[in-house]
Order: sequence, then structure tokens, then C-alpha cells
Amino acid sequence: MPNKLEKPIKVMLVDDNIIDLKINSKIIFISKLFDEIIQCQSGEEALSYFNTHSNQPEKLPNLILLDIQMPEMDGFEFLDNYKRFPPELKDNCIVAMLSSTLDFGDIRKAEANPYVVKLLKKPLYPAHLEELFKANFPVEKQPRF
Amino acid sequence: MTRSPVKVLYIDDEENNLLAFKASFRRQYEIYTAISAAEGLKVLENLPVEVIIADQKMPETTGVEFFKSIATTYPDPIRILLTGYTDIAALADAINHGDIYRYITKPWNDLELHNSIKNAHDAYRSKIDLRNKVKELEKTNDELNRFIYSISHELRAPLVSVIGIVNLVKMEGLYNSSGEYWELIESCSNKLDYYIQKTLQYYKNNKNISENSDINFKTLVDEMIDLYAYSDRDTQFNLNINQTHPFMGDSFRIEVILGNLISNAIKYQKESGHHKVVDISIDSNLLSAEISITDNGLGILNEHLEKIFTQFFKAKNNKGSGLGLFIVKEALNKIDGTIAVSSSLNHGTTFKITIPNAK
Repeated sequence: MPNKLEKPIKVMLVDDNIIDLKINSKIIFISKLFDEIIQCQSGEEALSYFNTHSNQPEKLPNLILLDIQMPEMDGFEFLDNYKRFPPELKDNCIVAMLSSTLDFGDIRKAEANPYVVKLLKKPLYPAHLEELFKANFPVEKQPRF
Repeated sequence: MTRSPVKVLYIDDEENNLLAFKASFRRQYEIYTAISAAEGLKVLENLPVEVIIADQKMPETTGVEFFKSIATTYPDPIRILLTGYTDIAALADAINHGDIYRYITKPWNDLELHNSIKNAHDAYRSKIDLRNKVKELEKTNDELNRFIYSISHELRAPLVSVIGIVNLVKMEGLYNSSGEYWELIESCSNKLDYYIQKTLQYYKNNKNISENSDINFKTLVDEMIDLYAYSDRDTQFNLNINQTHPFMGDSFRIEVILGNLISNAIKYQKESGHHKVVDISIDSNLLSAEISITDNGLGILNEHLEKIFTQFFKAKNNKGSGLGLFIVKEALNKIDGTIAVSSSLNHGTTFKITIPNAK
């Protein structure tokens, strides 16, 4: 759970598929749970976002929604890099994987990774996002509807 | 096609025999000779010998002992045993432990020995051919499985995007904006997704790996109901789950079995306005789990009961894929489970399953 959660609450989407980035951004917008959406089309792009903003904690995401199957760097490889980040970069951030996979191997691997709080399945529903939000972010900081 | 001559290794402690053998057969075969078992082994280590002839009576290592010693290291060459006297004990031993193809008495008859070598070589070829064919088939089969598996994943990703878009259309209140078109797109997409999921289940079940883990039936059934009753919230579930002992089983296959049966119980219901009930009872003990799933839905025609587990069998007006129960049966076969069905038309269907506890 993030130590502190200060507005604006930010979510980062990492997905090589532009259509899914668009769809999931919309769903996040409809859920009203987050104030900002950072879209990355690859694991590399997400890593470089962290590197560029390493001195601006207010720009870093509180949640990463990470696709599994991506060319070059897949979701698990991204996590291998992410875990080497200094703690101050990831202290206020949790990772959930977001994938259309039905592969038990992927599911188990995702659940076994200490950085992954949950594997969400595509299509993403606002209700599932809200459940994840409630389970992982301090209750008093939740946005009011 | 001309094949290179058959490579024959002849081991005998009598030099004269080796010379005689060479003289008789050097035109037909590529011959290697050795004066002892140890020398013979050296030849084997360096050359792909196809037929080995060994004399039984040799100092240090006998023919049978030699054949025994190479049983696992060189299983392929075909073995022929030569003996100068009738030694029943050696013979029995040779047949039982030495994997001997032929037994020939000394002094040998050239024609008989020649035929034996020829036959031995044929046996060798068939053995190798068969092994290559099996290898080839396994490879093709494996590639096909992997192909279908990955293509199903690739097909599913964009389909899930389509379903996501339809969900957005719903959330933005546009679902009824184009007559029934969105509804049609949604139902087609769901149907396609169902087929892809069944295909994946079928191919995963076909793989022979089975991983046993601790199964909690209560949790599993709750999850399955959550998953499949999502689209239909009017069905009432009565659960009666008794699990007295830990149950070890193949969680993937048990999920597939319960998932398909529970989703069928929800799906094959009478038209709306009817109080839909599904009873699930599970008795799990040290030996096995007895599962019974009963619905009060459409029921199955008596003459169809035998066919429902066959691939692509669909009753008329049936909205299913003809794969669900087939996969259930296949999955049960893999884990030594059994299934029985009883049904009464318009009153409902009961499936009874037994799955052994792998503990």
C-alpha cells in the first residue's frame, strides 16, 4: 500500500496496443478514481518516464496497469527493471497486471510476483478497478462521488 | 537407392573363426572383428554398428554377459549369439536378459548366418525408422498444439478489445442508439470468445502435464458461480458442500469440469418467468469427491443422452458450441474421474461426477 496518497492521483497504463490504451483510458476516466492518466506504449517508454521524472515525485504514478504480452520488453521484464528502482520512486506506487491472458502459467507468474497486487483481466470494468482501488489505497483518501 | 553395406561386428576369442567369417562375408558386409568383449566395446564406441554377433564361450566375458553389459548403452544394434554347444542355461539367460534376436549354433552354416544377418538388419532398420517416425510425429503434434494455443491467444486479444468497446458504448448510454446492432455485435463477440476459450481449454487439457494442488471445493464453486452467473443473476444456487479431508487434485482440470457444468446449468434454462434453481452438492473425503449438479431447466432428450459427450454434438435449437461436455469428459479421462447423467425433459438434468483424491 502506498505510504501517502496525495492528489492528483495518477495511473500509468503500459500497453503496446493503442486501441486498448484508448479503451482503458476511457474506462479509468468513467470510473472517476484517478485524476491523471499516463499512457505508455511500451515497457521501455514507461521506464524512461520514471527516469525522466525521478526528481519529481508529484509526477510519478500511484498505480501501474501493466500489459503482459508486449514486443521487446514484456510485462515481466518491465517488472525486473522496475524492482531495481530506488525505493523512493516506487514507494507510492503499486502494480497490477492487465491482460487478456487465460494462460495459467501467466496468471500464476503474475500472482507470484511480489510487486504485483492483482491480475486484472481485459476487458477492464470500472467495478474491478474500484475493487482494486479500495483494497490498496487508504480509505480516507478516496475520492467522493 | 544404394545403401552403404551393413556394419557387422563379430566378437570371438578364436582368431580362426574371425578370419573364416571375414572370408565368407566380406563382400556383402562391412565387417569389424574383435578378439574379446573389451575389444568389441572399443569398436562400438567408435562406429555405428548395426548387427553384433558374439560367441558365447569366451574367457573373461561371455557373449551373453557382453550383451547384458551394453543393454542400456547400445540398445540399437541387433544381437546374434553363437555357441558351439547347446547350453540351455546360457540360452535361457540370453533370451531373458540379453535381448538376443537370433541364436546360431557353431559351426555355422553360411547361408543360415547370412539370412540371419539380413533379417537382423531389417529389424534394425524398422526399429530406427519407427523411432524417427515417432519423433517426427511428436514434433508435429507439439508444433500444432503450440500453434493453436498461441493463435487462440492472438485471436482473443483484439476480440477482447471489441468487447471492451461494446462495454464503453453501454457505459456511455449509446447501446440502443443504432437499433439492435450493438447487441448483435456483443452477442457475436461473446460467442466467438466462448469458442476461443473452449479451444484453449481443449488443447491445455490435451497436454499431459498434470499438477496437483490442494483444492477447496467451497472456494472453487463460489468462484465458478461468480464467474458464470455474472450474466444471469436470477438463478438461485443451493450449495451443500462437505469437505472432510484435504483434497489433492488437478486444479486446472477440476475448474474446467465444474466451470462447464455450472455454466451449462445456468445456460440451458427455460424461458424467463421461471424460478431457476441449481443444486450443487459435493461430498469430498479421503478417497474421492462426489459431485452432483442438478438444474431444473430444459432437460435432455433420452435419445440424446449418449451423444452429449461427443465432440460438436448439438441438440436442435441449442445455443452451445458442442464442446463443453466433450471437454468435461476429456478432462475427467485425464484425471481418472467418471461422469453419469440423468435427465427428464422439461424438468431438469443431474450430472454426477466422481474424482479420485490424489492425496
